[in-house]
Amino acid sequence: MWQQLHNRFGLPLTMAIVGLLGVWLILMVLLPQWQMIDYSFHPSLLPSERGGEKDVWTLANYVTFFHNDIHLAIFFKTIWSSVLVTALTLVVSYPLAYYLAKVATPGQAALCLLLLIVPFWINEILRTFAWYIIFAFRGPLNELLFALGLIDRPIRFLNGDTGVLVGMVYAYILFMVFPLYNAIESLDGNQIRAARDLGAGWLRTHRRIVIPHAKPGIATGCIMTFMLAAGSYAVPALLGSPGSRWFTQIIYNWFFEGGDWNQGAAYAFLLLALCILFVTLVMRIFKVGLGDIAK
Amino acid sequence: MDGRVSLDRVAMRFGDFTAIQPTSLEIQSGEFFSFLGPSGCGKTTLLNIISGFLTPSEGKVSIGGEEMIRVPVNRRPTAMIFQNLALFPLMSVYDNIEFGLEVRGVDRSARRRKADELLELVALGGSGHKPVSELSGGQKQRIAIARALAVEPRVLLLDEPLSALDLKLRQHMRTELKAIQRQTGITFIYITHDQGEALTMSDRVAVMSAGRIEQIADPMTLYRDPATAFVAGFVGENNRLAGHVTAADGELVTLDAGLAVAVSGRARQPLAVGDSASLYVRPEQWRVGTPDDLRLPFSGIVQAEHFEGAWLTLEVALDSGPTLRVQVPHVVTGDGVDAQLRVGGSCRLDYSPREAVVLPGAEPSPEAGEVADVAATA
Repeated sequence: MWQQLHNRFGLPLTMAIVGLLGVWLILMVLLPQWQMIDYSFHPSLLPSERGGEKDVWTLANYVTFFHNDIHLAIFFKTIWSSVLVTALTLVVSYPLAYYLAKVATPGQAALCLLLLIVPFWINEILRTFAWYIIFAFRGPLNELLFALGLIDRPIRFLNGDTGVLVGMVYAYILFMVFPLYNAIESLDGNQIRAARDLGAGWLRTHRRIVIPHAKPGIATGCIMTFMLAAGSYAVPALLGSPGSRWFTQIIYNWFFEGGDWNQGAAYAFLLLALCILFVTLVMRIFKVGLGDIAK
Repeated sequence: MDGRVSLDRVAMRFGDFTAIQPTSLEIQSGEFFSFLGPSGCGKTTLLNIISGFLTPSEGKVSIGGEEMIRVPVNRRPTAMIFQNLALFPLMSVYDNIEFGLEVRGVDRSARRRKADELLELVALGGSGHKPVSELSGGQKQRIAIARALAVEPRVLLLDEPLSALDLKLRQHMRTELKAIQRQTGITFIYITHDQGEALTMSDRVAVMSAGRIEQIADPMTLYRDPATAFVAGFVGENNRLAGHVTAADGELVTLDAGLAVAVSGRARQPLAVGDSASLYVRPEQWRVGTPDDLRLPFSGIVQAEHFEGAWLTLEVALDSGPTLRVQVPHVVTGDGVDAQLRVGGSCRLDYSPREAVVLPGAEPSPEAGEVADVAATA
């Protein structure tokens, strides 16, 4: 690689490129991560005790997690709910992406994309607050359902997981729509026509032709949505209730309410490790390589 | 198996644009029928109407006597071979061919038997497990045919399927397609802008222009007896001599085309003295002789020569103005007429009025770009 860069850009520019890359990797990626790993394997100590005889390597922070049933439950609930969010986002995004890529005229597609993107010019917290208002006990959604005669008393949307799920699907939908759109868009329209012509109904056409073609896009969208959902803080904090707490909220509590950074760092790493494991597993199952996702 | 296709006053409009003028048409069961026309003439639209991808603005389509307008594309007894073939790239050859059968719920072993049969038919036996990406252009072509035949369509629709192949392969596939059509007895409807393809394979050809069918005829009739100026210009090459009728004697009509001598030819429809008309003489219908051969009435000067293997095409400027395209057989021994013709040299020409065609109208057909436009100012 060095040789290639050197041939193309000459020595000074190559050194600058490699140097900047190194600085970025070391300062922005490796050092902070190392710091957190280091924290997670040490006990939480007063400043005066640091470097003293109590400052030893320990697995205690990790052990705490496995002895706390509530944290364990929230941890797996977070993973499960993130899977649910991902699945829901996929179900909502797929028809939309298909419409944008294969059905809509260029004008319709542009308008649709604009409508999708405009809300994202507003800060995520504010968008989430908008849902907080919509979902409120005496909020517009309840009013609407009531006026339509679908319910006879207001529903507490913000009580359980409903608000969190909807809020997250909304928050991450673009991360699903765009990879899907890109993947479906690259499918030759004649493939769909050929499948129809050979007698396939719409369901089979999607199952056998469109979805297999869009698989890398689906995997990319799912991985991004899952990682964002599992690591989300604002949505569960605003739209959830104590019953629907997210693991990120526990991590936050360790850091900023418990003041125990070491414990928090251990929890954060557990979440990271599990997410990586989960994503690797999904990629194995769907036979998608890293190369497919980078496309 | 009834593969008759009938169109009853089918028309197609997109907004203000009329893609297909009201068209009625009967295609026989087991016929190899082609739509020939320049791009944009509406032939692909017509194919899409028959296959069900488009619903016509007006009119009825029936296949084997059954009304088709309300039948969705996946339930029509047709199969299409696409211009880009549209093989499923993520599937093996077997999976491609068996797709239509799988849709119809045919069980695995029956599917495989049928696929093997079809692979034999298209001379690709044993390549069923290959991924589609490993096939050559010609092989992909055959797999596309096999995939379409697998669903046992009553009508096979082919949308310029040979256009992506190189010349030799294209000529070879023409023979093969025709053979497959004979063997299976399926109605083939073939779309092309390539008259060579249409003429060599078809039982009948419909020549289309600007959303209208100009003429439906067997290839030989189309070539010998074009019904309209468009057909005369589009199918094969032609020399057009425009003028007005000076004598009409039964089938033979004589024109004053502003040349030294009057010209005559067969008229397909009655023409009266004074009508404006054009005479069409094909390049190979001219007899060419040396300048001293005074039996030949026309004389001219060779402007250019194009060597085309079997033929030598000459551009000959007649003394009275227009330039003709004339073909003479190329004689290898060098003692034929071609050896005496030189650019800049003169020659004499004649044609047989029985072979030439007179059609009404002195104006060139606007779309028939291939007419060597030699209209004299009459």
